[in-house]
Amino acid sequence: MAENKKKKSSSITHARYGCAIGAVNTVNAIKHAIPIANCGPGCADKQFITLSFSNGFQGADYAGGGAVPSVNTGENEIVFGGSKKLDSTLKSAFKIMDGDLFVVLTGCAPSLIGDDVGAIVRKYKNEGYPVVFADAAGFRGNNLIGHESVVNAIIEQYIGDVKTEKTKGLVNLWADVPYFDTNWKGNYSELKRILEGAGLKVNVLFGTDSEGVKSWKKIPKAQFNLVVSPWVGLSTAELLEEKYGQPYLHIPVVPVGEKETTAFIRKVVEFAGIDNKKAEKFIAKETADYYYYYEHISEFISEYWFGLPARFLIAADAQTTLGISKFLTDQIGLIPAKVIISDNTPQKYRDAIAEEFKNISDDTSIDVQFIEDGYTIEKEFDEADFGFGKPLFLATSWDLDVVRKHNGLFVPIGTPNNFEVVLNRTYYGYRGALTLLEKIYSEVVRG
Amino acid sequence: MATKRINLDLPSVENRELRLGTIISWNGTTGDLLKESDYEGRSEKNAGKGGCCGKKGEGCKLCELNLPFTQQTMCCHAIIETQVSNITDCVLVEHSPIGCSARLPRINITYNQTLARRGKAPQTIRVLSTNLKENDMVFGATAKLKKTIREAYERYSPKAIFVALACTTAIIGEDIVSTSSELQDELGIPVIPLECEGFRSKHWSTGFDIAQHAVLRSIVKKKPEKKQKDLINIFALYGSDYFTPLLKPLGLRVNYIIDGADYDEIAQSSEAAATTTFCHTLGSYFATVLEEKFGVPQIHAPMPYGFKGTDEWLRAVARVTGKEDVVEEYIKSEHERVLPKINELREKLKGLKGYVATGSAYAHAVISVLRELGIQIDGSLVFHHDPVYDSGDPNENSLKHINDTYGEIPDYTVSKTQQFQLFGLLKRVQPDFIVIRHNAIAPVAIRMGIPSLPVGDEHMTVGYDGMIRLGEAILEILSRKKFGKALKEHVKLPYTDWWLSQDDPFIIAKHPEIIDEAPDKFTAKKKKRSVKKNG
Repeated sequence: MAENKKKKSSSITHARYGCAIGAVNTVNAIKHAIPIANCGPGCADKQFITLSFSNGFQGADYAGGGAVPSVNTGENEIVFGGSKKLDSTLKSAFKIMDGDLFVVLTGCAPSLIGDDVGAIVRKYKNEGYPVVFADAAGFRGNNLIGHESVVNAIIEQYIGDVKTEKTKGLVNLWADVPYFDTNWKGNYSELKRILEGAGLKVNVLFGTDSEGVKSWKKIPKAQFNLVVSPWVGLSTAELLEEKYGQPYLHIPVVPVGEKETTAFIRKVVEFAGIDNKKAEKFIAKETADYYYYYEHISEFISEYWFGLPARFLIAADAQTTLGISKFLTDQIGLIPAKVIISDNTPQKYRDAIAEEFKNISDDTSIDVQFIEDGYTIEKEFDEADFGFGKPLFLATSWDLDVVRKHNGLFVPIGTPNNFEVVLNRTYYGYRGALTLLEKIYSEVVRG
Repeated sequence: MATKRINLDLPSVENRELRLGTIISWNGTTGDLLKESDYEGRSEKNAGKGGCCGKKGEGCKLCELNLPFTQQTMCCHAIIETQVSNITDCVLVEHSPIGCSARLPRINITYNQTLARRGKAPQTIRVLSTNLKENDMVFGATAKLKKTIREAYERYSPKAIFVALACTTAIIGEDIVSTSSELQDELGIPVIPLECEGFRSKHWSTGFDIAQHAVLRSIVKKKPEKKQKDLINIFALYGSDYFTPLLKPLGLRVNYIIDGADYDEIAQSSEAAATTTFCHTLGSYFATVLEEKFGVPQIHAPMPYGFKGTDEWLRAVARVTGKEDVVEEYIKSEHERVLPKINELREKLKGLKGYVATGSAYAHAVISVLRELGIQIDGSLVFHHDPVYDSGDPNENSLKHINDTYGEIPDYTVSKTQQFQLFGLLKRVQPDFIVIRHNAIAPVAIRMGIPSLPVGDEHMTVGYDGMIRLGEAILEILSRKKFGKALKEHVKLPYTDWWLSQDDPFIIAKHPEIIDEAPDKFTAKKKKRSVKKNG
């Protein structure tokens, strides 16, 4: 019976992620890296829509969107093989695209017809071109799996076997999946600011706080890897441990708000074994600032006559859902009415994540649900216990119908997000939490 | 005229490149393209009358430049999504891995905009994916497809269910035609297969034809009980309802197909007095099939843009609907109404140079309007070129219409959203602004300091008022030059200096060996000095 039910929900309506070839966006997030889409003419373009356009209108970056070189697998390639076209695409890309690193991502069609991508890529690699290849077939997994596949391919094939001295206090930061997390740019910046404030040197691999391939070459030098995410990035940390003998610290709950961020800093500083004086001084200053603003919102929260939300419903990827739920439950005192993870978290990580939710606050325990199908998520929302006040939905643009039906407040928090233009924003850390409070309570006053 | 190419007994339509000889890569003058296209000759050939100057086989093939390097563009699967997922009481089932559904959030924006523009209630699109995994590739996924079709039926009680094939399911040989037929019998509603795998056609516009073929086979009434003599089918996308004000003075009503329509509105299209469209690229197949197989006349005229196009289009509509007695007076009064404003705009837009980069026939439409406004067009780009349309009627030869009416365009390019080519093209033409549709084009222009007008409402350019609307919009976007200027000064394009120094964006197709000779920063060997000469 249970098996039957499981089978029934294998279809997906209103998807909340893209497929593995969506990891072209991961490559785009590495400064001056160029993805080569070895797939059909519209595959990566579609992923650009879910991950960047309809996700805060984040932009195409340096060589994303319509700039992505592509084999554009057609009928001819399906029948006669796509190697020839991949070869000419690659050869031309090295001359036409101004990049430091080229990453070939192979999608469904060439995977099924069995083109030997490795042979072509190795030929150019041997000639001196910085090129690697990654499996990104959509039927093998979603864009989070594709992201890990790309990251691990770059480590294996571009950085390779390196023996080097470790730099004390230098940490590689593995947190958000670029583009998939609408706020990734701002999130990396805030995490970097916090960790540097605590006295660490931070190696950021994506976005404007990174030095592109130079940062990637620096990976083996780090003292350790920091994974700030419930599961994405763990396979990378394990690979790096094996490859370069680097230990890793896994912090599944992204820090949002003073309490979690202060605990986060102390954990990292302790793991790094560096002197904590700088960190404690930073914590003291940041905490004082944080509660200065807290005081200013306290009047509103204690005596706003016109209705405040008490219960929240959330559906997003594991990282966002856990981090935001923890903050709202443990620090703000909102009541979880429905908590759903929609990113198809691999089975092996689910128990540990569910455990985090069980112990989310000393007086609150959450039974988190793992659901990918948007139809089912919207139904779960629809049938939730809304209590007395206005419900607060932290969800995606797919969920607007159910929000309207229950006259709810809506803060976009997951992919896709058609309702915001996002540039440099974070809900992480000390500062991001304040931005999130502004966002939530602005929805309240807007009615 | 093109009967030979139309067969509603077959589950799928022939690809556009086979049916019409579509090309995606070309550069030259509109005069040359017109000659090479040989619209009339090709039309005769399609009608089974020899044609193409008596040439056979390859003789009919329009010469195309074969690029050794391409960038991501779009596929016909994405196009069928924009069509059949936008029918308000039908549902689409996509038989594919989840990534094939990733364009839907954007399609949901256009869908809801369409509904608002047509005065209909908002609705989130209803598309189910069978969400296929690796095991399905090995063992097949027909059981999943059946289950998902049943789910679609139970959840939404649709009037019809469309089933879309994708690259993976085509390669592993999923038989969606049989499965659809089986489920149609089981559920008692049309279950309509769409063989729209992304690798199928070299141009996405085949997707329009696939969707149209499907609704013509399965939804449009074969034997309508009545005729609606005042109903005009407008084959459209998401545009605002500017056709009603254009046709209402003639006592005519519009029936927009496919986007935003419901099942019954599509079904009644065979009852209409005539079919027309805002764009032949889009409407060619549907209108021709309705004419040839359902007896609904097609408006054989230029598209309704600019004075000349709109005049002739209105006259043709009037001929078919028996309104010839009033049409001339109507045209005259419309000219008088809009002319002062248009003259005012002509004055303000004097000396400007524009560039159009849109779908094929729609580019001809926009060029007509810009030329009416006195804007200079030295170059333009279309995402594909159809040397002939399905009707084969010379009145639909929209390239000839602009070439003859407004003069030859010297730098006319066919390029399927190939962003890397655009830099060189714009550098040659140096326009003050660019009019675009589809993503991927405008980001290059704005980084060169050239502001863009994305025509999201494709009907904005229609009719006499279309000239005013477009003129006003251009004046507004020119102000965005400031944004472009700052961008140009601070942001680098992702192309090498070698590539950006090329004058001919098709050089790698004409001389592929230039790629081997070009410099790169990774290998310091075997470089010849002759490279720059080609630039």
